[in-house]
Amino acid sequence: MPRRTRTAIISLTMLTFTLPACGSDRSGADDTASAPGNAAGESSAAPVVNVSESNPAPVIDTDAPVPATGFPVTVTAGNGDVTIESRPERIVVLSASLTEMVFAVGAGDQVIAVDTYSDFPAGLPVTELSGFRPNVEAIGALDPDLVLVSRDVDGIAATLGTVGIQALVLPSATDLDDVYGQIDTVGAATGHTDEAAALVAQMRSAIDDQFARLDGATLPGRFFYEMSDDYKTLTSDTFVGSILAATGMVNIADGVDPAAGPYPQLSAEYVLRADPGHLFVAHTDGSLPTVDDLAARPGWSALQALTHGQVTFLDPDIASRWGPRVVELVTAIVDGLIGGS
Amino acid sequence: MTARHRPAVYAAGLTVRAGKTVLLGPTDFIAGTGDWINVIGPNGAGKSTLLRAIAGLTSHTGRLDVHGVCLATLDLRARSRLIGFVAQHPAMPAGMTVAQYVLLGRAPHIGPFGSESAHDLERLDGALDQLALASLAERRVDTLSGGERQRVSLARALAQEPAVLLLDEPTAALDVGHQQDVLELIDDLRRRLGLTVVSTMHDLTLAAQYGDHLVLLADGRIVAEGPPIQVLTGPQIQRYYGAHVDVIDHRGHPVVVPVRTPHTDPPERPGHLEPEGDRRATT
Amino acid sequence: MTDRAHPTRLPPLAITAGAAVTLAAVVIATAFGAVGISPGQAVAVLVDALPGIELQHDASPTVAAIITEVRLPRVLLAAAVGAVLATAGGAYQATFHNPLADPYLLGVASGAGLGVTFAISDTGSSLGATGPVITAAAFAGALVAVALAYSLGRAAGGRSGASLILAGVAVAALFAALQTLLLQRDDEAIRDVYAWLLGRFNTASWDELALLAPFAAVTLSVLVGSSRRLDVLALGDDEAQSLGVHPARLRLLVVVTATLATAAAVAVSGLIAFVGIVVPHAIRLRTGPSYRRILPLCVFGGATFLCLADLGARTLLAPAEIPIGVLTAIVGAPFFLLLLRTSRVAMS
Repeated sequence: MPRRTRTAIISLTMLTFTLPACGSDRSGADDTASAPGNAAGESSAAPVVNVSESNPAPVIDTDAPVPATGFPVTVTAGNGDVTIESRPERIVVLSASLTEMVFAVGAGDQVIAVDTYSDFPAGLPVTELSGFRPNVEAIGALDPDLVLVSRDVDGIAATLGTVGIQALVLPSATDLDDVYGQIDTVGAATGHTDEAAALVAQMRSAIDDQFARLDGATLPGRFFYEMSDDYKTLTSDTFVGSILAATGMVNIADGVDPAAGPYPQLSAEYVLRADPGHLFVAHTDGSLPTVDDLAARPGWSALQALTHGQVTFLDPDIASRWGPRVVELVTAIVDGLIGGS
Repeated sequence: MTARHRPAVYAAGLTVRAGKTVLLGPTDFIAGTGDWINVIGPNGAGKSTLLRAIAGLTSHTGRLDVHGVCLATLDLRARSRLIGFVAQHPAMPAGMTVAQYVLLGRAPHIGPFGSESAHDLERLDGALDQLALASLAERRVDTLSGGERQRVSLARALAQEPAVLLLDEPTAALDVGHQQDVLELIDDLRRRLGLTVVSTMHDLTLAAQYGDHLVLLADGRIVAEGPPIQVLTGPQIQRYYGAHVDVIDHRGHPVVVPVRTPHTDPPERPGHLEPEGDRRATT
Repeated sequence: MTDRAHPTRLPPLAITAGAAVTLAAVVIATAFGAVGISPGQAVAVLVDALPGIELQHDASPTVAAIITEVRLPRVLLAAAVGAVLATAGGAYQATFHNPLADPYLLGVASGAGLGVTFAISDTGSSLGATGPVITAAAFAGALVAVALAYSLGRAAGGRSGASLILAGVAVAALFAALQTLLLQRDDEAIRDVYAWLLGRFNTASWDELALLAPFAAVTLSVLVGSSRRLDVLALGDDEAQSLGVHPARLRLLVVVTATLATAAAVAVSGLIAFVGIVVPHAIRLRTGPSYRRILPLCVFGGATFLCLADLGARTLLAPAEIPIGVLTAIVGAPFFLLLLRTSRVAMS
């Protein structure tokens, strides 16, 4: 369908739905993606902010009138400035983190397909598409109007461009501000600027609250963040590393091997000698060691982190993604630091 | 001696070195047009080296002219249009047919990215006919007998239409019957086509029977040259080959007869073979 | 006047048949692909795209763009790369009298791999190196490796083929070791470099085809044009020289042209093994040892083979793609064994 016609229909529908929506109470009821035929995501249904059970659903005040159109809008992404003419209705997301963001800002029912690794929230239109080896033909055959990727593999953004499909490259965040920025970008690109802003505000305040819990607590001086059985770790130049650095603790991986980049590999000997006060375990290869497994490593039973029970196991999914569930990551970290000892 | 006004091959001060060792020379060598020169000599004398130097396969110093043209001034293709070379053990690539093999002889006449013309195909036919290979044209060369292979090598050399034909041990690995066939063929061809032939031979008697004269090489130098009678003498062969021979005359050609000289007198034993007839020299 | 057919040259019928088969492969490969686009639609778009021809089709603009901007250049690129690799492989087999020679013999593969590794890991992030940078690095690396192998081979053992091969092996080992050294400390880069090494056509575009095309055109012409002299080379260096063919110069010509096109092919499509060995051999089993016949047929055979292999790579497990190098090996090996079997039976 030609874009102009689509825009007109969307605008009209939005008007039709938003006028009666003014004034109605929209407190956070979960809403899974509605039928794809529904052109307007801005219905009286609550904007979708998916959070896990442990966090209370935020209250979002939407008494303010939703703007009739937020388009055309120009957003800045990893592949430069991209101008989106009208609200995308056939979005393909090829990154688990970006999927979480898109659904969190309420654009879930504009999504026609997500990649095979996206698994949150529930009920996603999962396909076999891959963000690591994107197949232009397979993507193109779905006839999307916007594609979100976190890696510009093989120039996929440009290739999609030659076929007339817009793509946004939103690479892995390096710190919290990055995450907030991307959420705003996703919100603008999908026509959910306000929900995005609200989500960001809520995340900021939740995270601040968590960090506040650390005030006055005695924290171990150093920590080790373990990503694999052979001591793969990350430095403070990474997203998770930056969050951990914000706690004030020192990452034993910092400065050890600058040439190795942000994901160096340490040796058992180094870790033992550093004797970090706290261990974070988040294996990316799917292995799930237990405390006993760690203690069984040669020399490890003497580590103060193990003797004092200062070990935090993080959900690898949450630890390796950046998006709305960062709040959970921070919560888990703080819980581990304060809850321990 | 054959009159040589403008020799087919003229070499002066020809020297071949390998590092500091001198393999051949300095030698002077002349072959008249239409001559057949047989180069003989003990192993390691430099016979093949001489041939390969003339063929341009071995770097050398000294002057080398073919039909008055200094070879050093010619490019490789021009040189190969003048000189045809048949190696001692020519490569016979598996799967190649006789026709394909002989056609390769036309290479010197075709440009780098060119292809054979009708004329080249005619020459191919001519070469096959001259060596009675027409019926074998589609046979694979690696299925041929020794004698057939020699003919095929010769055919390829003929297809080159050279002025000078260099043959390295053309009779090696052939039985006596085929040896004669091949040598007769060469003689016939050179007379008909006016070729100059220089060949190396290990069989002294055959070398004497065919060809106009001999060149005896030893330790890289020409130590004797001339008609066979002059070159093949007992003392000369003794001196350079270290062999004990008698040279007899048979039907006008010298025949070299190896003589067995015992170091000590062995006791006569029953059943010991006596030489048949009187093969001792009567000269 | 002779009525003898040319003993070695390919009859025109063979050339025509080869071209027809290649064209059919290109059309088939363009017709099929990821789900969602019917073959009829695809062919209609393809025909419509030909200059001067207008054909109605019901494909959406996106689908049409996919065919003309993504699939068609990819198919043509696969064909071009296949032709280059097969012909270069055949030419190397001729030049070095070695049936195991392939176009990567003198270090193109390891040189390109090292260049790519440099580009990817040197920028710190695997995303930092853009496509053109990687392509250029692969090309440069390949040329450096071959130049090094050639000069080492010349210096060490004169101009014989054997010394070149040995030098190539040495250079390949050295570059591979350097590559491992660089990669070992950088996990992210390992994944990207490995993916690149396996070969892929999914970045194919008209730009890449434009990059490869001149090299391919020149190299294929030179190599096929040299096939007559390569047949002479089969007699050995000495005899070839006595027939007016300069072995070292011919070898150099083959190495330079084959390397340039192979390096360009590797730069745009990664390392695709097997094509350079299997296709010439398979052809040789049918045509005999004359390179006059083998090399021209390598152009068509290589193009067809890789075209269809790429079709398999992107359709068999759609939407995932099988790395093309894996597919060529899986397909090529048994095919080759079968061919050996049947020809051996025929010969005995």
